[in-house]
Amino acid sequence: MEVTYFSFILVVILFIVVIESVRRGILETKYSLLWIIVCLFMGFFSISERFINKLGEFLGVFYPPSLLFLFGLLFIIVLVFDLTRRISKLNKALTNLTQEYAIMKKKFEEKDTD
Amino acid sequence: MKHTQLSDPSVLIIVPAYNEEEAISGTIMKLTQFKKQMPNLDICVINDGSKDNTAEIVRGFPEVILLDLPNNLGIGGAVQTGYKYADQAGYDIAVQFDADGQHNVDDLHTIIGPVAAGECDMCIGSRFVEKTEYSGSPFRRAGIFYFERLIHLLSGQKVTDPTSGFRAVNRDVIELFSINYPSDYPEPEVIIYLRRKKKRIEERTVLMHSRQGGESSITPFKSVYYMAKVTLSIVMQRLVGGA
Repeated sequence: MEVTYFSFILVVILFIVVIESVRRGILETKYSLLWIIVCLFMGFFSISERFINKLGEFLGVFYPPSLLFLFGLLFIIVLVFDLTRRISKLNKALTNLTQEYAIMKKKFEEKDTD
Repeated sequence: MKHTQLSDPSVLIIVPAYNEEEAISGTIMKLTQFKKQMPNLDICVINDGSKDNTAEIVRGFPEVILLDLPNNLGIGGAVQTGYKYADQAGYDIAVQFDADGQHNVDDLHTIIGPVAAGECDMCIGSRFVEKTEYSGSPFRRAGIFYFERLIHLLSGQKVTDPTSGFRAVNRDVIELFSINYPSDYPEPEVIIYLRRKKKRIEERTVLMHSRQGGESSITPFKSVYYMAKVTLSIVMQRLVGGA
């Protein structure tokens, strides 16, 4: 089996898992968009031999299917960057909540002792 | 409004504490002693999710305000909690004071004074304006000197002791800090931030002791990482500000 078909099958499985996760409510719809875009692109790259050969020729790549690794890696970098951004946002929200919680608790205790 | 003098300002002492059970009661006793000279002063300890008995010890002092964080936020998040409290409760001046006994209560007048008089927006207690008995390791002093040069280069602000956590700020700065305060190693970064906001920063000579107990948040092992991280963060702070 050629690497292109193999990666296509993997992409299809990933696509199904993404859609199924959204359907079950495990993955939020807005976070699934990037994953769906990745699946469509990777699917297209793996199946279209003509396109990937043309692109390989254009970029001077000796073995065109290795472009799949390049794009896979690039997508992963984008995804991880997106994740760190989301973590920062969550972290900020968590810090804020923790601080407000401590202050509210203090005010609540003060009321109790009055 | 900016340069108003405060004759009897309300002051909040912010004491961030993480696993400080050995030193905290000594620090609180010195502060409550000081409160007798300055009745309009409140002491606020922020327990930053300590794993030891810090919170229980502080509860033993009913006159101390305890803000008990349910999880560990790190020094920046803990100190900011104090500033948020000061903002909401309407204090005129807030002072950061270390729980570990490094800072000297007798110097509180020294750094509150210039802020109360409207001479500056933030007053930092420095070990190096004039020669004091402080003697850190050569590496530590080299690190402090490095940050001094870097901050001067980036902001034009001259601060001899940029990592000092002993500082007093006025109402304007309390409001700024409650909205935005750097998280991990905030002391040097704050200087660039305030400078960008056109705030006046001054230094006064204070005495600092070596730690009374517990562990320093900066171990030698971490110090190289610390230098790199702080350098990056203050350069970023300068870049995003533009001015």
